[in-house]
Amino acid sequence: MGTTASQLGKDLLSEYQELTFLTKQEILLAHKRFTELLTKDEKDLPNVRVPMEKILTLPELKSNPFRTRICQVFSTSIVKDGSLTFEDFLDLLSAFSDSATLEIKSHYAFRIFDFDDDGTLDCGDLEKLVNCLTGETEDTRLTPEEMRQLIHNILDESDIDKDGTVNLSEFQHVISRSPDFVSSFKIVL
Amino acid sequence: PRPPVRRPCRVMILVNPLSGRGQALQLFTGHLQGMLTEAAIPYTLVITEHQNHARELVKKADLSQWDALVIMSGDGLLFEVINGLMERDDWQEAIQTPLGILPGGSGNALAASVHHYSQSPPAWNEELLLSCGFMLCKGLVGSLDLVSIHLASKQRIFSFLSLAWGFVADVDIESEKYRHVGAIRFLMGTLVRLATLRVYQGRLAYLPLIPNSSPTHKPHPPPDSLLPGLDQPVPESWTVVKTEDFVLVLAIYQSHLAEDLWAVPGAAADDGIIHLFYVTGGISRPALLRLFLAMEKGAHLACGCPHLVYEKVRALRLEPISRQGVITVDGETVEYGPVQAQIHPGLARLIYG
Repeated sequence: MGTTASQLGKDLLSEYQELTFLTKQEILLAHKRFTELLTKDEKDLPNVRVPMEKILTLPELKSNPFRTRICQVFSTSIVKDGSLTFEDFLDLLSAFSDSATLEIKSHYAFRIFDFDDDGTLDCGDLEKLVNCLTGETEDTRLTPEEMRQLIHNILDESDIDKDGTVNLSEFQHVISRSPDFVSSFKIVL
Repeated sequence: PRPPVRRPCRVMILVNPLSGRGQALQLFTGHLQGMLTEAAIPYTLVITEHQNHARELVKKADLSQWDALVIMSGDGLLFEVINGLMERDDWQEAIQTPLGILPGGSGNALAASVHHYSQSPPAWNEELLLSCGFMLCKGLVGSLDLVSIHLASKQRIFSFLSLAWGFVADVDIESEKYRHVGAIRFLMGTLVRLATLRVYQGRLAYLPLIPNSSPTHKPHPPPDSLLPGLDQPVPESWTVVKTEDFVLVLAIYQSHLAEDLWAVPGAAADDGIIHLFYVTGGISRPALLRLFLAMEKGAHLACGCPHLVYEKVRALRLEPISRQGVITVDGETVEYGPVQAQIHPGLARLIYG
């Protein structure tokens, strides 16, 4: 089941509205923006898969430090190349929408931070996460000792079953203490 | 010279047993009890059983029985006590009751500030507790600024520490649990907050402090003479901030936001100033991180960050435009919507010095 660029049928629109957290208006806007990324030939084809490089030109994603991970998480491509069909794109916008629940958002945040896709956040994932946030320059990048201490602190705080990694429910438990998480974890076109 | 607390000093000590990961009572018996006994300070321990227990108790208490009300807990319990006192019919006398603070766990910004005002080097955990205990025994009383805050629902509350909107760093980290290192400030919550950093739209306006004017210390009783109704425009003497894109707005009236967040070098408990900080949209994540890392040593203003603005004000109004977000008063979430605040210099009394 797919959709061509020219028209988003009424039935499909209703179906998408039921399956996602998006309103009909948001879905139509998403359709418009997705179509703009297609080449002239692609516009007549169903189920087009847009390569990640093109998705990343969207202003809403361009400056997000996790843009690559976001595409990878929502991509249904067999070759795991971060490419998105329109339905993948809707899933992405749905998870990041105003109406998505804390449970959905924290689930996807977890998957985005799970850089090696192994289902838990281990030291390697946490280190990559911190480096994403501390930037490239000398004065904010952490020293190896600081990184070690920080990861130790995080695991101490979040790793309830003490297995050396943070699993989904441990992560969700920590996130539930941030009152602003739901309103901050957002991408709106 | 400040008048000391009357001797002999009968002290009510309110303890939240859940504070400090359930350690508050143990900390009291382990460290404070002996101190108070040696200083011959008769005290009564009151263990709070639920939220607002302290507030209700203080509202109805016969304050002539007590020379001081001491809170052994985080900042939340002091908030209850102050608002309980202000809700009394005899609030004008009641708010003169000397208050004491002992750090009992998380959220000990006032204790850290008070320790800082005594010009001692930074302290945490047990050391901070002993320092505050010592000040309690010395019994010197000073004045404490309070800020009255109007919420959209027409509710008015009194605040002693801060009003914040937008990105709020984890200020309630249980620092006794982690060995102190520069990067300690970042636990999972802060990392996630930084990862999902967003810009909030809103309008901010304030009444600047006139330089070289010393704020009057006569207890300004409510009503709030500087604030029009929330539905009215701000007075012409106010400054309206041009930008409407903020990462955070922080109004703080003590020196510390947490034990290791020294927000206002040079603040005093009764300087009659609301120290207003705001960070405008466009700041990068590493730059924001740099500010919070520098704040441990009070060096954030020296970072030269063009997105950080600091003003000394007497009153302010904040009107969020973004539909979702969080506003906190003294670290606790309050209703989200337009708010305005005015400082009342020296309205309360605090044991410190």
